[in-house]
Amino acid sequence: MNFWFAVFRQAGRNLRQTWTSQLMTFLTVSLSVLIFAFFYLIYTNMIGAGDRLSDDLRLIVYLEDDPGPEMQEQLRRKINNFDKTESIQFISKFKAYERFAEQLGEDSDVLTDMPKDFLPASIEVVPLKSLRGYNQIKLFSEYLATLPGSEKVQYGQEWVERFYYFTRLITIVVLLSGALLILTATFMVAYTIRLTIMGRHEELELLKLVGATNNYIRTPFLLEGIIQGFMGSILGLSALYVLFQWISLHFAGPGLLNLFNFTFFPPMVIVSILLGSIGLCTIGSFTSIQKFLKI
Amino acid sequence: MPKLVHNQDPIEPKDIPGNTMIEMIKVSRTYAPDIKALSDISFTVDTGELFFLIGRSGAGKTTLLKLICNMDTPSNGLIEVAGYNIHNLKGKKLAHLRQKIGVAYQDFKLLSDRTVAENIAISMEVSYKKPRAIKQRVRDLLEQLQLTDKHDALTGDLSRGEQQRITLARSVANSPRLILVDEPTGNLDAATTERVMDLLTRCNKAGATIVIATHDSSIYKDGNHRVMELRSGKIHSLSRNNR
Ligand SMILES: Nc1ncnc2c1ncn2[C@@H]1O[C@H](COP(=O)(O)OP(=O)(O)OP(=O)(O)O)[C@@H](O)[C@H]1O
Ligand SMILES: [Mg+2]
Repeated sequence: MNFWFAVFRQAGRNLRQTWTSQLMTFLTVSLSVLIFAFFYLIYTNMIGAGDRLSDDLRLIVYLEDDPGPEMQEQLRRKINNFDKTESIQFISKFKAYERFAEQLGEDSDVLTDMPKDFLPASIEVVPLKSLRGYNQIKLFSEYLATLPGSEKVQYGQEWVERFYYFTRLITIVVLLSGALLILTATFMVAYTIRLTIMGRHEELELLKLVGATNNYIRTPFLLEGIIQGFMGSILGLSALYVLFQWISLHFAGPGLLNLFNFTFFPPMVIVSILLGSIGLCTIGSFTSIQKFLKI
Repeated sequence: MPKLVHNQDPIEPKDIPGNTMIEMIKVSRTYAPDIKALSDISFTVDTGELFFLIGRSGAGKTTLLKLICNMDTPSNGLIEVAGYNIHNLKGKKLAHLRQKIGVAYQDFKLLSDRTVAENIAISMEVSYKKPRAIKQRVRDLLEQLQLTDKHDALTGDLSRGEQQRITLARSVANSPRLILVDEPTGNLDAATTERVMDLLTRCNKAGATIVIATHDSSIYKDGNHRVMELRSGKIHSLSRNNR
């Protein structure tokens, strides 16, 4: 009780004495938390959107001709031999025509003069959920193209490809900003605490002489790191939340955000980011104490 | 939560009147390259004694006090304080022993950007005295030393004589068992000197062992104390003042 009172009093004095550099560190830590959390938020939302998109993923194999029942059986076996699937559905030329007519609705009379087999027959393949990585889909489609009677395989290649590369890019940006966060949190905090220790050299010497225990001298600096990490991440995350609300408000309605179904972090992630930055700042202050506060 | 109650007091068990508070056996301190600040010093100070250390400038008084409070280590010899070989103590034990030793340094060691009250409080804060008790003690001491109006002044702005008294106040504030005072009256007039000595005498009466290093013969010539004179690092004389 008395110990913690003394520790908080001492930490308060530290903050007061070097408040300019403390403020700089605090702002730097919050900014790095903001940058990291911003990209991480985009990343998680991309992943979510990717999941939703891949729910609708199907590969369509256009065939030269309607396959007979034995042929269907053979094709089904060949497809399943390569990869397990959720479903395989054969669409005959006639069925394709019916579907198309249905889609046209009232305008379907334009089709009256067309032969009922003018659309190609096809197979709709829905791959297993667990096998929907970009490369797996690509390999799968390449294999489907080699099936007997197959003319062309479609699955919205371009879109999938772009999405895939964008996700990769965001992953790299998240990693980089994460590294930035680690560097700023540990080094900036280590630096300010070193500054404080240097600035209070006289007092720390005196404290030793009048019989201050190691804990009495060291704990306030450790507490300072914890406070920096806590306050910094709180401010960073709050700023991100405000930004998020602003974006949601101004880009509401149908559009990109709705496609992405933009959401904020769940509480678990918020707590993790908080604890992470506190941990990093504590490491920063600890290294400075070890190096510059020899007792 | 770490247990930090200072229950195991290293200085208390052997700190009984009649026992030895300070014991030095064949102590030397040589500074590089070849300055013999102290050589072959052996003497004891009893618990509860008021002991004077005199000698010309450069005789080794400050060096001797620094050895006693473990600010410096001897090149040779053994020093025991309250029965503990103080140079073998480490960590918490050393800290607790130091809380029981008050030192008024010749160079003051005041924090010039802190107020008088904060400077005096420091020695009580490290042993977790209650803030209210600290406040009261600081006021009492300032009153005894006629510095009440300087309570909130920065020590850097004070005169040397005032700083000297603040240092003394800090050394006695935590009611230590052993008080080492280096040149307490160097910058003071006769009346103020008397106040300072009154304060120290009171601490001594309350049971504290006190060692005073001084040039000022006016403070040790009266009374029944032992006076040890150093000359160029050696004990020149050690006698009881019996006038
Ligand atoms: N850190 C040091 N390095 C080198 N020499 C030192 C050191 N400290 C003290 N000395 C020398 O040791 C001798 C004793 O010094 P000390 O400070 O103990 O004298 P003193 O009796 O306190 O003098 P004064 O009355 O002027 O305070 C002096 O010659 C001094 O120059
Ligand atoms: Mg001296």
